[in-house]
Parts: sequence; structure tokens; C-alpha cells
Amino acid sequence: MDEKIFYITKEKLQELKKEHEELVEIEHHKNAGESPRVFESEDLNPEFISFQEDMSFLRSRISELNNILENYELIKNPPKEKRSVVGLGAKIKVNIDGKKDEFVIVGTLEANPALGKISNESPVGKVLLGHKAGDEVVISSPIKTTYKIKQIKYEIS
Amino acid sequence: MKDILNFFIEIGKLKKMPRRGWIINDIKNPESIAEHIFRASLMAWILGSKKNGLKTERLLKMALIHDLCEVYAGDITPYDSVLPKNPKDRKEFMKTWPRLSSVQKLKLSKKKHEKEERALDRLLKSLPLNLRKEIKSLWMDYEKGLTAEGRFFKQTDRLESFLQAAEYWKKYKKPPQGPWWEWAQEFFDDSISLELIEELAKKFHKKLKPKT
Repeated sequence: MDEKIFYITKEKLQELKKEHEELVEIEHHKNAGESPRVFESEDLNPEFISFQEDMSFLRSRISELNNILENYELIKNPPKEKRSVVGLGAKIKVNIDGKKDEFVIVGTLEANPALGKISNESPVGKVLLGHKAGDEVVISSPIKTTYKIKQIKYEIS
Repeated sequence: MKDILNFFIEIGKLKKMPRRGWIINDIKNPESIAEHIFRASLMAWILGSKKNGLKTERLLKMALIHDLCEVYAGDITPYDSVLPKNPKDRKEFMKTWPRLSSVQKLKLSKKKHEKEERALDRLLKSLPLNLRKEIKSLWMDYEKGLTAEGRFFKQTDRLESFLQAAEYWKKYKKPPQGPWWEWAQEFFDDSISLELIEELAKKFHKKLKPKT
């Protein structure tokens, strides 16, 4: 498993901790030869179904969660003097070759570009980090795109 | 067995269903959804083997089922809701990546997910409960990126489409490559995917080819 720091929000951390607790409980029941009640329902949370038959996947997911929970860093609002700079958790308004868009810079576990959540490990995420409102950032591999940063905000709860 | 046979007949329809992204770009005889699934599966296996700790069986199953919902939901593209009806305007529109407001992004994403989930439930309803649950769970993982396999396959799926776009561009000089690259630089963040994209850029974009 890759060893790296996982940058996550407080909400994501709570979600992962809850999943971890539930899976450890399922593993415990399985090891004891019992069928956890959670599996008997037709409305079983689809996110846990694969574990019903596949113990090796259950263990692998618990191990993945352990790795994340041991190597995470919470995304927080930066100190006031650093809020003018793009960092993790920044909500930014940009002008991309003349078109308006809005992104939040997140860690890879929460990235979802279709919802405007751009990973800090993507080429665009990487180049935007450290820049200020008014800066122009150019990505030119292989087609040139210019990102003009219009506004930076931090609204992490 | 009757229900299982009917399921096979239904998913067989994907062999003849063209992918919508190529139709709106006027690509002649575009690939089918099943053809996309075929190469995405091989890419998931081969690229996934370069990544530590990923479960190949899970990746392959996910690749095989990820677009099954399209039998009934159809293939939905990011352009659909904003695409001009006039062919001339549409051609111009396709030259850039559609930029939507946060509200529009959320609304479209939710609508697409709900439509596809309903379609998948309808398709799976005749399968035995354990298979139904397993396929639904794999699809949810792919949709939401819940596990390392889900996140990795999401990237591989888009990588396959990106490669196909480059291949069509080489052959027909369409679809326009600008929006694809603009999107790719925001979408991909996995190191293996980014490595393949670097190779793809060298192969399909002459100015980046190394001088021999």
C-alpha cells in the first residue's frame, strides 16, 4: 500500500472512522462465525455489500482505512496572513481562457472534478497552489490553457 | 436461468450502442459502449498491476459493470444539458470545455447519478440477490470513489476515453483536442494515469515528440 499523507476534511475523517468501526465489527462477527445482522437486510448499505462474501476484500479495505487513519492530515483554514494564497481547502474563482469557473482544492480522497473539487495532486491543482488572486497560471502541456485567479476564500467549518 | 439469460440479452445491447460523446462530435461509425468497456478492462488490469495493493479481480469486475446502467439510462455526457441544437453552433461550442456554475454541477451530477442508479436497479432486478448486491456495490464504489480500486478505475475509465479521443483526432481531426486536455489536467491525479498521459502527449502531439 502506498505510504503518503492523506489530506482530508473533518467530514471525510468522520465518514472514514465510521466505516472503519463498522467494518471492524463485521470482521469480528465473521471471525466468530456469526452473520452480522447488517447483512440480513434487503436495504443493506450498498457500500458494504462486497464484504458479505469476500473476507479478503474486507481485510484489505480495513487495512486501507488503517493506513489512511494513521497517515492523514486535516485540512483547516490557514492563518489569516496566508488566506490570500491558494492552499488546500481554498475555494477559488478562476477565469479559464475567458470562461468563469469555481474550484475547491482538495486531497485525492475527496477529489471530484465534476463537482468542482480539484485534487491537489492533479496538474492544475499543483500549479495553482501558492498563487494569489490576480496571478495568471499557464498550463502548456501540450495545449496552452491560462487560469487567471480572481478570488480566494477559505470556508472550512 | 431464464432471468439470467434475459440479463445477458439486455447487456448485449451495449455492443450496438454508440457512445454519445462521439456522436455529438460527428465521428463516423463510433465505438460502442461495449468496445469502451473492453479496452477499459484491459487498461484497468495492466495499469492496476503497476500499483501496489490494488485488487485486480475487483478492478476487473468494476470495469465490466461500470457502464451496464447505460443499457437503459443511455450515455450521458458533460455537454448534454448545455449543447446548442443548431449544428453550426454546436460545432463551435465543442471547441471548449463546458464550464458550469457550482449549482449546475451539483444538479447535473445528482440527476445523472439518480437516472443511472434507477436504470441499474431495473437491469439487475432479475439477477440472484447476491449478484445484484455485488454489482450494485461495485458500481457505487466506482461512482463515489469509495476505495482505492474505485478511485483508480474512475481514472482508468476516463483514460480510455481520452485515448480514444486522441485516436479519433489523429484519424478525423476531431473531436477538438483543446477541451480534452483542459479537462484532463484537472481530472487526473493518479501517478500511473499521469505517466500514461505523458506518453500519449508525445505520441499524438508532434511538438512534444522527442527528436531522434
